[in-house]
Amino acid sequence: MDWQALALTLRLATVTTAILLAVAMPLAALLVLGRGRWRAALEALATLPLVLPPTVLGFFLLVLLGPRTAIGRAITALLGHPLAFSFSGLVVGSVIYSLPFAVQPLVAGFAAVEPGLVDAARLLGAGPVRLVRTLFVPLARRSILAAAVLTFLHTVGEFGVVLMLGGDIPGSTRTLSIVLYNQVEAFDYAAANRTAAILLALSATALAAIYAGSQLRGGRRA
Amino acid sequence: MRTIRFLPIFAAIFFAAALAAQTPLRVAAAADLQPVLPPILAQFQHATGIRAEATYKSSAVLTSQILNGAPFDVFLAADFSFPQRLIDARAAQGASAGQPILYAKGTLVLWTRNDAHLPAPSLDLLRGPALHRLAIANPQSAPYGRAAVAALHSLGLYASLQSRLATAENIAQAAQFVYSGNADAGLISMTSALTPQLRQAGRYFILPRSLYPPLRQGAVLIQATHQREAAQKFLNFLLSPAIQAQLAASGLTPAH
Repeated sequence: MDWQALALTLRLATVTTAILLAVAMPLAALLVLGRGRWRAALEALATLPLVLPPTVLGFFLLVLLGPRTAIGRAITALLGHPLAFSFSGLVVGSVIYSLPFAVQPLVAGFAAVEPGLVDAARLLGAGPVRLVRTLFVPLARRSILAAAVLTFLHTVGEFGVVLMLGGDIPGSTRTLSIVLYNQVEAFDYAAANRTAAILLALSATALAAIYAGSQLRGGRRA
Repeated sequence: MRTIRFLPIFAAIFFAAALAAQTPLRVAAAADLQPVLPPILAQFQHATGIRAEATYKSSAVLTSQILNGAPFDVFLAADFSFPQRLIDARAAQGASAGQPILYAKGTLVLWTRNDAHLPAPSLDLLRGPALHRLAIANPQSAPYGRAAVAALHSLGLYASLQSRLATAENIAQAAQFVYSGNADAGLISMTSALTPQLRQAGRYFILPRSLYPPLRQGAVLIQATHQREAAQKFLNFLLSPAIQAQLAASGLTPAH
C-alpha cells in the first residue's frame, strides 16, 4: 500500500475543500441574492467544470499557465517554479475542477432559505455579509456539509487533470488514482485491487455518512 | 426517368453505407509512432484500399487493453517485452519462432527548447545543476521511459536527478511536457524530436546507444482479429523497403 500517496491524496482533498468552501460560499450567496443577466453568466461559468472534460482543464493549466505565456511566467516568478508538476499546481487544478461540486449544493441550500426571512433581515438593515453569516450558514448547514463532502470526494477521485499536469512525482503529485493507474499498467492487479478498494471504501463511507446524517435531520424535522 | 436521375445518389448512399459498414483495421501503436504512422496508414490505404486506424498509448496500456479484449488487429509496441507477454498469453501471434516481429529500433534523445536558457543539450547538461525538471516517460509502462532510466543509471546520474524527474504516462506526453515549457529538458523519442514543431522550437542530442539496452520495437498480430489477412498485409507493408526507408527518415532505425 502506498501510504505516501494516500496521505498526499487526503492532503490535496483537504486543502482543496478548505479553499473551495471559502470561495464558494460568497459565490453561492451572490448567485442566490443577485439579479440581472450577469447572474446567469456567472452561474454558467461556475458550472462549466462539471461538463468540461478534465483534459481541457489540464491543457489550459499546462499551456496557458505554463512558462510560455505572460500569466504563466508571472506565476512561475511568484512560486519559483512552474505550476505544473507541483502540489500547488494540483491544488489550482482541483479548485477549478471541483468548483461546481461546492457551488451547486450551496446554491440549492441558500435558495431553500425562506424568502420571507431574507426580506425581513434585509428590512432590518442586514447587508449581504451579515445575511450569509447569520441566516444562510446556520440554516443551510446540511448543504454546506454536502458541499464539503462532495468536493473532498471529487478531488480524491480526480484523475484526468492530475495525469495531464502532475508528472507522477512521489509525495507531491502522485495521488492514489495515479497509483492505481500505474499498478494496472504494471499488471499488478493485486495491488490495484487494494488501491481501488481503499478509494471505493473512502467514497462509500463518506457518502453513506452524509445521507445518514440528512435522514436523521429529515426525521427530526418531520 | 425520375428513378434514373436519382440513381447516382442512391449509388452514392449505398457506397457510403458499405464503406462505413466495413470496419477499419485497428492498429494499437506505441506512442513514439504518433508522429510517424499517420502518413504510412494513408499510403497503406492508397496501396491496398484497406482503411487502417491507429490508437497511440504506452505499450503497457495497450498490452493490458488487448489482454482484456480490446478490438485491435495489430499491435506495434516500442519494445519486445510487451508483445512477448501477449504471445505468452496466447493473445497474439508473432513470427514463427514465437517472438514478436522486429519492425524498427528506437532512439532516445535529450531535447530542450531554444528559449529554455540552457546550454545546448548534452551529457553535461544532465550532469549539471542547471536542469530543474527532466521529463521522462513512465519506466514501468513505456519502453522509452525504461531506456531513459537505464541511461541515467549508466551515467551514474539517476540518484542525483531522481527528485527532478517529471514522469509522463507515455513518451509522447513526455515530449509534450518539455515542448510546452513546463519541463526544461526531456528524454524523448527521436521521432518526436524530428517533428516540424519540435525541430523549430528546440534542439536535440542523441544519447549514446551504449547507455541503454536497444529499443527493439516488436509487432504482433492479435489472436482475436477478424481481419488476419489485412493485418498480415499491413505488417508486410511496414517491413517493405520503401516504408522502412521512411521510418529511417522519421527517427527510427530500420529493422534490417
